[in-house]
Amino acid sequence: MLKVPGAMLPLIEFKGVNKTYDNGTKALADVNLKVSRGEFVFIVGASGAGKSTFMRLLTREEAPNSGEIIVNGFKLSKIRHKDIPLLRRTMGIVFQDFRLIPTMNVFENVSFAMRVVGASNREIRRRVSNALTLVGLGGKARSRPSELSGGEQQRVGLARALVNNPTMIIADEPTGNVDPNMSYEIVELLSEINRRGTTIIMVTHEHQLVRDFNRRVVMIENGMVVADNFDGGI
Amino acid sequence: MKARSFQYLTFEGLKNVWVNRLMSVASVGVLTACMLLMGIAIAFSFNVDVIMGTVEDQNVVMVYLEDGLSDGDRQEVEDALRAIDNVKNLEYVSKEVALDSITQGFRDDQKLLFEEFKGEENPLPDALKVTYKDLSLFDETTGQIEQMKQNMKISEVSNKRDVANQVNSLRNVINIASIWLIALLMVIALVIISNTIRITMFSRKLEISIMKAVGATDGFIRFPFMIEGIILGIIAAGVAFGLVYLIYRLAADAVTGNLMLNLNLLPFGSFAAIIFGIFLVLGAIAGMLGSLVSIRKYLKREGSEFSEI
Ligand SMILES: Nc1ncnc2c1ncn2[C@@H]1O[C@H](COP(=O)(O)OP(=O)(O)O)[C@@H](O)[C@H]1O
Ligand SMILES: [Mg+2]
Repeated sequence: MLKVPGAMLPLIEFKGVNKTYDNGTKALADVNLKVSRGEFVFIVGASGAGKSTFMRLLTREEAPNSGEIIVNGFKLSKIRHKDIPLLRRTMGIVFQDFRLIPTMNVFENVSFAMRVVGASNREIRRRVSNALTLVGLGGKARSRPSELSGGEQQRVGLARALVNNPTMIIADEPTGNVDPNMSYEIVELLSEINRRGTTIIMVTHEHQLVRDFNRRVVMIENGMVVADNFDGGI
Repeated sequence: MKARSFQYLTFEGLKNVWVNRLMSVASVGVLTACMLLMGIAIAFSFNVDVIMGTVEDQNVVMVYLEDGLSDGDRQEVEDALRAIDNVKNLEYVSKEVALDSITQGFRDDQKLLFEEFKGEENPLPDALKVTYKDLSLFDETTGQIEQMKQNMKISEVSNKRDVANQVNSLRNVINIASIWLIALLMVIALVIISNTIRITMFSRKLEISIMKAVGATDGFIRFPFMIEGIILGIIAAGVAFGLVYLIYRLAADAVTGNLMLNLNLLPFGSFAAIIFGIFLVLGAIAGMLGSLVSIRKYLKREGSEFSEI
């Protein structure tokens, strides 16, 4: 575990965060949590525990009812609507269902993420091929998503999340639709990305995976953080 | 917005129109119908204005005399007219002069048609052209002249003001009817356009969710859909303009060919630019409004905006 200098601000900070959905479902209760730059954090817990809600608060898809969330210097309870895209440009989001556009090939799917934030063609060519090489798909740039395995598709998703050089990767069950043995590849890749300095927040309920990769584990139950091995272990 | 983004997004908008072509055609159709009506109303109104211009400024009444009137009888009528205070001027217009002046308005080849009416066959009556001093007394004075019909050999009193009033009220009816119809069609067009764009947005849900997740701005996400709307509007403007031109050509031919009407429509070119300008602006605004209506809701949506699509 990386030791972070005390003076350094945490990348993510939850202070007394509560989230109740409009229909009255209480999804998170008094969550307090800090994540430093460069960490790799697994978020675990039963289905319905509030893991996805936690991730949606991070990406500011949802706003907390009370408490404060600070991500990369953005105060999410006060953030203006027009600043939300800026927040999201600091994160690479990986989806459980891959979210690849079926009519685009691998290269186009990854470059799409750069194009929509206004990158130049030259930058796009360079960075997309770097990202594809990193995830081991350099040779499949012209393939359609339908021609790839689940594991490969998720690697495209990872390349897309990486290509804009985010500070952190936010991945809610990225291995949920991937063969178990392929799951390891994905987490290996995330570890490699983490070694290069990117913070990783990953939700999973594959216990074996969590055990095999010895990382910080935050456990959520009934909307509350019930365990966090940040300074000790479960 | 950067030039390369502009180019990219404009192309995306064009693509939307094509991918969603069935709804695109529906949108263009309704918008075209709306513009077509508007164009016809405008063309009509331009022509009426010109006709009215030649009609309205004449404070003139024609007093038609019975056929075969003796000079004495005519003198009697003239004296009676001169006795009216408000009469400024009297001018005798013989049937020959009247026929000549009608013939004037036609092309040489058409003039031949009038040859047979010359002389004994002339169907027109002799007339006295009466000019008034005070236009505000028009109805009173005309009434006085109408009275004279009872004991003098006057066949008819006609004034162009009657014609003017009729044309005017016809114009009002057309204006009011077309305003309502255009407004109604406009609302329908907006609803259809916004539904068209909503369908495109729905079919592009996946892309939009990714755009939001990677931090594309609202403006960026909105742009192709606005372009789509504007393109629909511009296509409708072009189609409507072409149709108005064709219809106007047909109408102009029909009117000019009709000798009895003795009327020439304005050349289409004299107001084509105005109509096209109005169509373009209207189309662009309708397209943009239609797309904004559907995008606004979509972008403002808070909560699970991209994790669940
Ligand atoms: N958009 C929503 N509206 C209402 N309730 C929701 C919504 N999303 C999640 N929930 C509820 O909040 C609780 C936590 O859900 P979630 O964060 O998705 O859990 P997890 O990802 O750990 O399975 C569950 O009871 C779920 O039904
Ligand atoms: Mg979940």
